[in-house]
Amino acid sequence: MSAPRAVAPAADEPNVRRAGRQLILAAYGALRAVKLYPVENVAVQKALAEVTAQSRDLAKSEGELELRISGEFLFVNQVRLRLELDNFASFSHLLSLFRASGIGTLHIAPTVSEKDWLIFFSLMQAPASDNPEERLVQLQTKLADAGVATLTTAPPTEQGDGQEKAKERAKRTYDQSVAATKELMGSLRMGASPNLKKIKRLVQSIVDQILTEETSLIGMTTLRDYDEYTFTHSVNVCIFSVALGRRLGLSKVQLYDLGMAALFHDIGKSRVPTEIINKADRLNDDEWRIVANHPWFGVLALFGVRGAQELPYRAMIVAYEHHMKADLSGYPRPLRNRQMGVFSKIVAVADGFDAATSRRSYQPVPYTPAEVMRELRDNPRRGMDPVVVKAFINLTGVYPVGTFVVLDTFELGVVHAANPLEDMISRPIVRIVSDAQGNVLFPGTLADLADRNANGEFVRTIIKTENPERYGIRIADYFV
Amino acid sequence: MRGPASAAMTSPKAAVEEMLRAFMKAARAHQLYLPNNPIYRGAIDTLRAAFGPVWQQMPILPLAIDEIEIQWEGEMVLADPTSAKSADNLAWLFFKDGVRELTITPGFEDEEVVKLLDIVQRARRATTDDDDLVAMLWEAEFTFLTYRHLDLLQDGVGGSETAPGPEVTPLSADQVQRETQAAVEESQASGFVNMADFDSTLYFLDGEEVEYLRREIEREYAHDLRGNVVSALFDIFELHADAAARGEILEHAQTLLPHLLAAGHFRGVAYLLHEAQASLSRTLNISDGHKSGLTRLADQLSAPDGLNQLLQALDEAPHLPPEDELSDLFAQLRPAALQTIFQWLGASSNAELRPALGAAADRLAGENTSELVRLVQSPDRVVSDEAIRRAGSLKAQAAVLALSKLLSDPDSARRLASVHALVEIGSAGALQAIERATEDSDREVRIAVARAFASRVHRPGLARIEAAVKGRPIREADLTEKMAFFEAYGALAGDGGVDLCDGILNGKGFLGRREEPEIRACAAVALGRIGTARALESLRKASGEKDVVVRNAVTRALRSPGAAP
Repeated sequence: MSAPRAVAPAADEPNVRRAGRQLILAAYGALRAVKLYPVENVAVQKALAEVTAQSRDLAKSEGELELRISGEFLFVNQVRLRLELDNFASFSHLLSLFRASGIGTLHIAPTVSEKDWLIFFSLMQAPASDNPEERLVQLQTKLADAGVATLTTAPPTEQGDGQEKAKERAKRTYDQSVAATKELMGSLRMGASPNLKKIKRLVQSIVDQILTEETSLIGMTTLRDYDEYTFTHSVNVCIFSVALGRRLGLSKVQLYDLGMAALFHDIGKSRVPTEIINKADRLNDDEWRIVANHPWFGVLALFGVRGAQELPYRAMIVAYEHHMKADLSGYPRPLRNRQMGVFSKIVAVADGFDAATSRRSYQPVPYTPAEVMRELRDNPRRGMDPVVVKAFINLTGVYPVGTFVVLDTFELGVVHAANPLEDMISRPIVRIVSDAQGNVLFPGTLADLADRNANGEFVRTIIKTENPERYGIRIADYFV
Repeated sequence: MRGPASAAMTSPKAAVEEMLRAFMKAARAHQLYLPNNPIYRGAIDTLRAAFGPVWQQMPILPLAIDEIEIQWEGEMVLADPTSAKSADNLAWLFFKDGVRELTITPGFEDEEVVKLLDIVQRARRATTDDDDLVAMLWEAEFTFLTYRHLDLLQDGVGGSETAPGPEVTPLSADQVQRETQAAVEESQASGFVNMADFDSTLYFLDGEEVEYLRREIEREYAHDLRGNVVSALFDIFELHADAAARGEILEHAQTLLPHLLAAGHFRGVAYLLHEAQASLSRTLNISDGHKSGLTRLADQLSAPDGLNQLLQALDEAPHLPPEDELSDLFAQLRPAALQTIFQWLGASSNAELRPALGAAADRLAGENTSELVRLVQSPDRVVSDEAIRRAGSLKAQAAVLALSKLLSDPDSARRLASVHALVEIGSAGALQAIERATEDSDREVRIAVARAFASRVHRPGLARIEAAVKGRPIREADLTEKMAFFEAYGALAGDGGVDLCDGILNGKGFLGRREEPEIRACAAVALGRIGTARALESLRKASGEKDVVVRNAVTRALRSPGAAP
């Protein structure tokens, strides 16, 4: 991962946000330096001096300084920091360390010293209990023992039911999005004018949830309702695209643009006869030709979907390009000069992943998420943009959410979330759904595959991905 | 905590009420005045100052939104019963779109308060098709303002739950354990481990990749969305022979045209028209209906109604689009546009627009002389005048007949313009056409013709010039006209004209009377222009002339014989 760099601030950006972002970058740099080098190293001293200066300045100018995590956000005092392409690695790393250490808020006094920061960063990165709550108690005790009074920590304010609420919210948004997509497609099929306001609001909701707690919404993509494939697929592609866009540093409004375009990417299918869409057998050449028209059908259909202000040009382009390859092969073949947009590339990857992992009329046995990921990564003929694929794997992990895995402990698990630790991409957070004796567990327990035992060995390791039906397990049950 | 420390402490409720009153006043000012207006600036300053007492008494300000009033800690702090449930009532404006609570934190008054005023203003004007207030608040990305809302739009949506997939038959613990062991053994037997799956560093974006993505995102937001859609539409048109789709594309292109114009996206308009033409020329198996559809599309902007609108907008625009964009646009105009352009060339007050229009007029007139000829005869004087000028500057041979007809026009200015144009065309036919204008009733026309004959050495015109020189009317004309005719005579007659001129300059008439000095001076000029030995001899004879006018003319003619004066 590239080293963090100072980001040129926007002219109208509040000072606290700008300074807060600099503080996070400085803290990230110091954390890495403390982890990699001995204390005497110049790089460590410099990094500690930087973070100390940043935090003192900010604490003095604002009167107080508090770092707080809420969902996937970092707040400095009351101000939410923006996640951008330049800083998402440092933000993610700090968020995951805070979470792993059970820290919800860190209060920093204006008198904080370099030594205080050194002790704090060393303790945060030292091997400790797997339980965040225990870890926080240990951290607080050790800070007190070391006489560090300028850095005080507190647990997150969101309690255990926060996850459940997030899950409920995600499910509601997901169901509403599928229903609204169905209504939209139905309206277009009937030649009526669809209600775009509703769709806009849902995409805004998807963006909000991806920004605050993406795991639950990404979990919803495992539902893969066979009967509603076209609609769930559109919503899934929207969710994956927005999540990927977030990793790429898109702003909230840009994520909205991307989400709208992604949701509409298959809108051209509203012009393909339902008997072809739902055909269980292999499509004949004529039928395939009609299905292959859906990208340009989409362009035409989107002229009928209009808000008051503007035609949905961006969605038209994504609908048109999402089956093109990065070298502009694929379909449709453009006659005029064109350069595929990055939104189309993002949607193409999300579309390819979701389509291949879904059970559809002409694909009764879907590929496993891990298989699809390998195909996207390793087969250049798929024509995906390799950097976007890489970022997608970075988002989902090598084992995407919903992957059914066999562990070396003879336990079975369902991947619940990618590991927030950037160097643990092949060690996701897994929900253990069967113990070593074969007892199926519900709802099961979460296990971080990055956890190690006292000898420093990983407690659990994936040895195989599997078809859950072989074990009589339905993945979606663990996400709703 | 913010705000002036010296401010007298009011009750918290009073501070909130005062701030909301200031907000309402600022909202009105925002609606009525431009940001640089002192009244507007004063209202905003007052509003910002009104937050001071609030922050002195509370760290955050939560406001509950009721149907017709705003509450703070259960007490009404803003109500407007007279305008209940109208967009003027701030509470109702928020309430009707589902907003139930606003929470404001210090810092809001610095920048974001103006953003909120703008949203309030937009929400008041919003139609049912526009975004509602919740969508506007969402897009604004406030840092110091949060809101809670009910999602009124989603009522009735999401009644059915998405099914979790097909049913599966649960297995016993023994069966699961057996299958798990089998899977582990299969995995061990294959002995294949793809190291790429375990090397996390493979998935980290390096600096170059981060930079690539940054550029791609920038490009996504910099590129021309409309042009891209136009390109897609015409690709589809050309690649798919589906008649219904082609018809639909033509409709959409028609829809796009005013959208692009309204957005001031003239390059996009030019691109659309250009690609319509390209599709017309290269699409195979195109029906007559679609052909005429494409042609109509291209012709639409050149029709008077559309073009008048466009030129009106451009004429009034404080800043014109870049020159190349404008010329791209004008390059797509058809001959039918010429008349409107001529009208605007005569009427436009925009100094930047005129050159671009002039260039477009030249191009269209040059490529379509038949249209130009038609416009030469237009009853619209502005159009006709411009057409006459262009016919001349473009040396449009095809316009000679039309221009020569105008030499009989009762309007002398028009006759003069036609003469100028014909002279600029300069062909034998054009010059022949103006011969009869030597006897035009208008002095300016006659002078123009005489000068043209002199400069072009149009010898076929000699007879008429000679007749004029010999005639009485020229003797009653002013010096300029006399000079023009005699100079023309000198230029055309050559040595053959010496006798006539010598007679005028040096000869004596009845009772030894000479011609008037002005006429003699003109004859001297003509002799100078002839410049032959005989002509110079004639001039020398007059060098002792007593009349100052004549003597000066003779002296000048002798100084530079053969040259035009």
